[in-house]
Amino acid sequence: MVVVKSVTCPICGSLCDDIELTIENNEVVKVKNGCALCESKFLGYKGEHRIKTPLIRKDGKLMPVSLDEAIHKAAEILANANYPILYGWSSTSCEAQRIGVELAEEIGGVIDNTAVVCHGPSILSVQEVGIPTCTLGQIRHRADLIIYWGCDPWSAHPRHLERYTAFTEGRFEKSDWKGYIQKVKAAAGKKKIESAVRRGVVKRPKAQPMLQHELVNAPPPTLMKEGRKLIVVDARKSMTAEMADYFIQVEPNKDYEVMQAIRALIRDQELDVDKVGGVPVEYLEEVADAMVNCNFGVIFFGMGLTQTAGKFRNIEVAISLIRDLNKRTKFVIMPMRGHFNVTGANVVFTWQSGYPYGVDFSLGYPRYNPGETTCMDILLRGESDATLVIAADPGATFPRRAVEHMAKTPLIVIDPHMNATAMLGDVVIPSAFVGIESEGTAYRMDHVPLPLKKVVDPPKGLLSDEEILRRILEEVRAIKAKKMREAEAA
Amino acid sequence: MIVLSPLKKFQFPVIAECISPDIFKGKSLAEIAKLEVWEGNKQRTLGDLFKIEEDKAETPDIVINGDASEVRFVGKAMKSGEIVINGVIGMHLGEKMAGGKITVNGDAGGWAGAEMKGGLIEIHGNAGDYLASPYRGSSAGMRGGTIIVDGNVGSDSGVYMRGGVIKIRGSAKQFLGFRMVDGTIYVQKECGTRVGACMTGGKIVVGGFLEEVMPTFTIDSIKPKVKIDDAESANGPFYVFLGDLAEEGRGKLFVSKPANPHLSSYEKFL
Repeated sequence: MVVVKSVTCPICGSLCDDIELTIENNEVVKVKNGCALCESKFLGYKGEHRIKTPLIRKDGKLMPVSLDEAIHKAAEILANANYPILYGWSSTSCEAQRIGVELAEEIGGVIDNTAVVCHGPSILSVQEVGIPTCTLGQIRHRADLIIYWGCDPWSAHPRHLERYTAFTEGRFEKSDWKGYIQKVKAAAGKKKIESAVRRGVVKRPKAQPMLQHELVNAPPPTLMKEGRKLIVVDARKSMTAEMADYFIQVEPNKDYEVMQAIRALIRDQELDVDKVGGVPVEYLEEVADAMVNCNFGVIFFGMGLTQTAGKFRNIEVAISLIRDLNKRTKFVIMPMRGHFNVTGANVVFTWQSGYPYGVDFSLGYPRYNPGETTCMDILLRGESDATLVIAADPGATFPRRAVEHMAKTPLIVIDPHMNATAMLGDVVIPSAFVGIESEGTAYRMDHVPLPLKKVVDPPKGLLSDEEILRRILEEVRAIKAKKMREAEAA
Repeated sequence: MIVLSPLKKFQFPVIAECISPDIFKGKSLAEIAKLEVWEGNKQRTLGDLFKIEEDKAETPDIVINGDASEVRFVGKAMKSGEIVINGVIGMHLGEKMAGGKITVNGDAGGWAGAEMKGGLIEIHGNAGDYLASPYRGSSAGMRGGTIIVDGNVGSDSGVYMRGGVIKIRGSAKQFLGFRMVDGTIYVQKECGTRVGACMTGGKIVVGGFLEEVMPTFTIDSIKPKVKIDDAESANGPFYVFLGDLAEEGRGKLFVSKPANPHLSSYEKFL
C-alpha cells in the first residue's frame, strides 16, 4: 500500500493539488482531501464504460482492431480531408495539445477547444478590453469582497470557496467559515421553530421570522459587516447563493443591463429607471458602495454570464466595470474555468499559433475569427469533411444539427470512455487517463501551470493522448510524403 | 464586364480575395482564370471553381451569378468599380472597402463591409451579424461610405462605428451601434435591445419597436423628425435619449414615439 501525496486533481479548473491517494495493487483505494467530484473520478475511472481496445466501424458496427490499424485509418482520414476539425483538448495535458496544434498545421485543419461552448466569450472580451487579474493565492490572502456572478462554485468547483476565497484563512483576511456555520445553525433553528409551529407544539410567534424572498425587499445589513463579504449574483438561487452574505437575483438575460447600471452608479450618474433587470436601483447602489469601499475585490464569473444573452459583451462590461473600479480601489476579475485544462488549451494554442481557440490552418497559416473559424459554426454550416474529437464529448453537448453533420462525415474519437461521441465514431482509439494513468501539465484557472501525476499504470496496450497523437502525426507525414513521391513520379 | 458562375455548390469555404475590380482590371480572361483562390485547405485557381465569361457591357465590372454563400472576401479593399452579385454571398463582403459599389441581389453573410472606409454596399436581402463591424480585438469600425440593407441584419452591427451611414429597412438584432463614436445608423423596423450600449457619440434612429432603452441612457427631448443623410430624413415624433452614461458618452438615440408607447414613462423627466 503506497500513499501518494500532493496529487493534482484532474477534474475542474481549480486544480486542487493537495490530494492524497492510497494505492493498492495498481488501483486507487482511498482519496483524502478531495471533493465529491474528485473522489468519483479517482475511485470510479475504471468504470464499465472504459474502452479496452481500438475500434473501427465496419458495416455499421464498431469492431475491435489493432492499434496500428486504427492509427493508420485515422491518419488516412485526416491526410485526405479538405477541411477537417480537431476538437476537444480541454481534458488532456498541455503536451498532447502541443502535438494537436502541430497536427492541425500539418493537415491544414481547424483546431478548436471546448472554450467555444464555455468561456470563449470571455477570451473575446479580453481581446477587446484587456483583463485585470491575479493569481488565486493573492485572492486567498487579500480579497475582502468576493463576488460570484453567474456561477455556482459550491456545485461545479466544490473546493473553490474553501481553498481560495471566502472560507480560507488568508494572511491578511480571515476565513468567514465561522460566520457560515452560525448562519447554518440559525437556519436549522428556524426550521425547528417552523416545524414546531406546524405541529402545534408552540404558538406562532407574533414577529414572523424573515423569509428569504422577503430579504430581497429589505436593506442588506450583511454588506455592513466586518471582514470578508461574499456576494452572489445569479438568475436562480444556487447553493452558493445560500451561503452568500448578499444575494441578488437578476432576471434571466439581464446581467448586461445590471452591470452597466452599476458602472454608471460608480461614476455617480443618476438613472431614469427604478429597477434594472428586476433589481431595485437602491440595492445596486448598496452593491456599488460595497465595491468602491472594499480594499481588494474580485469578481468570479461563469457561464451564467458567458452563455446568456449578450455573451462576450457581458464579460466586456464586467471587465469595464473592473477597470472603472480600479480608479477607486483594487479590483480583479477571473473566469471560473470548467474542464481542468481548458486554460492550458488556450495557453498552448496561443503560444503555438497566436490565437487561443478556433484556429484555422487551412490557408497554411493560423487564422482566427470566432463565428467563422469555430468548430460549432463550421459544423452548423456543414463545411467540414472529417472530425477528430479528443478529451471531450460533443456528441452529448452540441446542438443536434452540428452532431448530425459530425456523424455524417468520418469521425475519429480518442477517449478513455465509450461516450456519446465515441458511439458515433468511425475510428475509436482508447487512451490512458491524464493525471491518473499518465503524467503531464495543466493550467489552473488563474494561469498557474501545475504538474499532473501518474499514480497507477494504464491497462495493457493503452497509450497516453500525447503518444497516440504523435503516432497519428507521424503516420500523416508518411502518407503525405508517399503522395508527394507518387505525384513527382507521375 | 466579367461574369463568374460557380461550377458546383461549394461545401468548403472559398477564400477569393482576388474577386475585385481593381485586380481584374487590365487582365485577360486567361489571366483572370489563373488567379489564386483557396477551397478548404487546397489551393486552386479561379478557373477551377468558376465559369468565367466576358460580356460586352461596360458596367458593372464583375457579376457573380448563382449560390456563392461559401465565397468569402469578395471585393476586399476595393477602391473603384462595381460588383453585382445575383444570389447569396458569403462572409466578409467588401472588407476594408474604400470606394466603388457592391450590389447584392440576395443575402450577405457576416462581416459585410467590415472596417469599411468608403463606397456603397447595397444588400437587397438580409445581412448577417457584424455588419460594418471590426474583427476581434480591433476598434477600427466603419469610417465612411454607405451601407443600405433592404432586409434584416444580425446582431452587433455598426460596432465601433466612426463615420458613414448604415440604413436598415428591416429590423436589427441586439448591440446595434455598440461603442459607436460617430456616424449614423437608421433602423426602420424593430430593433433588438442594448442598442447603442457604450456609445460615446454618433446617432442611432429606431423607427420601430424597441423593447427597452439601456438604463444608462437619459431622456433629453422629443423631436418631430430627424435627418438621416442629405437625401433622407425620418418622420417621428422621436424620443431623444443621450448616453451611454457608463462611458460618459454624448451619443444620440432617437426612438419612435408612436411605435413605443411603453416608453412614455420617460416623459415625466422632461
